Amino acid sequence: MFLKNYRTVIFVGAIIAAALILLSYNLRYDTGTSVLKRIVMEAAEPVQKMFSASVEAVENAWRRYIHLVGLEEENRKLNKTINALQEELNLYKEGNLEAQRLKKLLSLQDTYPHRFIASRVIGKELSMISKTLWIDKGEKDGLVSGMPVLVSTGLIGRLTDVTWHSSKVLLLVDENSNVDVLIQRTRVQGIARGAGSRGCVLRYVPKIQDVKAGDVVVTSGLSNLFPKGLLVGKVSYVNRVDAGLFSKIYVAPFADLASVEEVMVLAAEKQEPKQRKKKEE
Amino acid sequence: MIYYILLPLNAVLLVVLQITLSDIFFSGWLTLELSLVAVIYAGFRLDFVKGITLACLMGLTFDCLSGAVPGSFTLFYLLIFLLVFFVSLRITSEKLYLIAFVSLVCSLLESFVLVLLYALVFQHDLTGDVLPVLVLQALLTSVISVGFFYVMSRTEGLRYGKTIQAPQRTWTGGVSPKT
Repeated sequence: MFLKNYRTVIFVGAIIAAALILLSYNLRYDTGTSVLKRIVMEAAEPVQKMFSASVEAVENAWRRYIHLVGLEEENRKLNKTINALQEELNLYKEGNLEAQRLKKLLSLQDTYPHRFIASRVIGKELSMISKTLWIDKGEKDGLVSGMPVLVSTGLIGRLTDVTWHSSKVLLLVDENSNVDVLIQRTRVQGIARGAGSRGCVLRYVPKIQDVKAGDVVVTSGLSNLFPKGLLVGKVSYVNRVDAGLFSKIYVAPFADLASVEEVMVLAAEKQEPKQRKKKEE
Repeated sequence: MIYYILLPLNAVLLVVLQITLSDIFFSGWLTLELSLVAVIYAGFRLDFVKGITLACLMGLTFDCLSGAVPGSFTLFYLLIFLLVFFVSLRITSEKLYLIAFVSLVCSLLESFVLVLLYALVFQHDLTGDVLPVLVLQALLTSVISVGFFYVMSRTEGLRYGKTIQAPQRTWTGGVSPKT
């Protein structure tokens, strides 16, 4: 009788309790990428790709056709020819730009002694609560959660959620991102924490330390996540006036995070041929 | 039954659409909260079980596809659904200015709880940076919800000859007689 009278209240209470337990559990323990999250992300990947392709197609259609509306009859043929040539030129330009970008990315392999996995960005989320990228490579391609992600200008973040065919990249500027870094000039150590539109905040640097605007910031290699010497950004603002033991320092990342199209995931250290042979034996 | 089969797919579609549109129109700095509007619509128009399922699924999908803490939006959407469902017992969803007001309140409430959660758990003070954005976002959500309700009521009118808000929400047993 009691259950029958209060079944809705019990039902609602149970559902809210379940949601609260889920939230508390995730806040307390870092659960990584759960099976449910993997399935949802895997299901959403083709939809996201489809939307991206549609947006690109609409943009292209807009560029190609809308500006032609209203032209005189006698110019139509000429415009068609110009349009075709422009399209061809655009294709070459686009190809050239892509080649240049990829060349820059590939040059990372000469700079760092690591194995890289190239990947394309298929989605971006630069909202107030999270700054992430969605890339089209996943576990099947050898990616593992925690791997550093770079562009030609330097480090942009690390992998957080890795599914079978896609992954999420937590950007440096996300409030949940913390990277152990060094000031290249003075070897002063600190933690670069994401600060959204302000870039990163360099924390725990005492006021007596020599840091000035324009100093280059690199990874310190002290954490197991990032190898030493990856470019992170440049000090953009230093304030020693405020109360407290530490300076207030902002770091602007080298990479333009809003326009990233391709990235390189730093997978593992390159094995020298001799070492590899030895291992095989 | 078809509703429950199509719901997960629609939730994924809506959330991905929401992320894509936010990226196109606002470069991500403002979120078009279509999923929240869908939850508010469910609170006004759907019966209890269908609505609560929708709220749970929308929240879970948004949790999985955004960078939010898993479970946070599931909880927010559930609470917002219950709030709107309770409000819908008192007011009619035909009055669009009321819909706009409820959506504004819900969006502000969601943002407030989010800021509070980040402040309490991660010690991230989001208030300085995002307060104007939150207000803009809430206004945008209320405008979208008015459009959404208008379109849906026209669609319902075309399909059924009248709108389908359950008139029997009397809390006798807690759920509408349909369930």
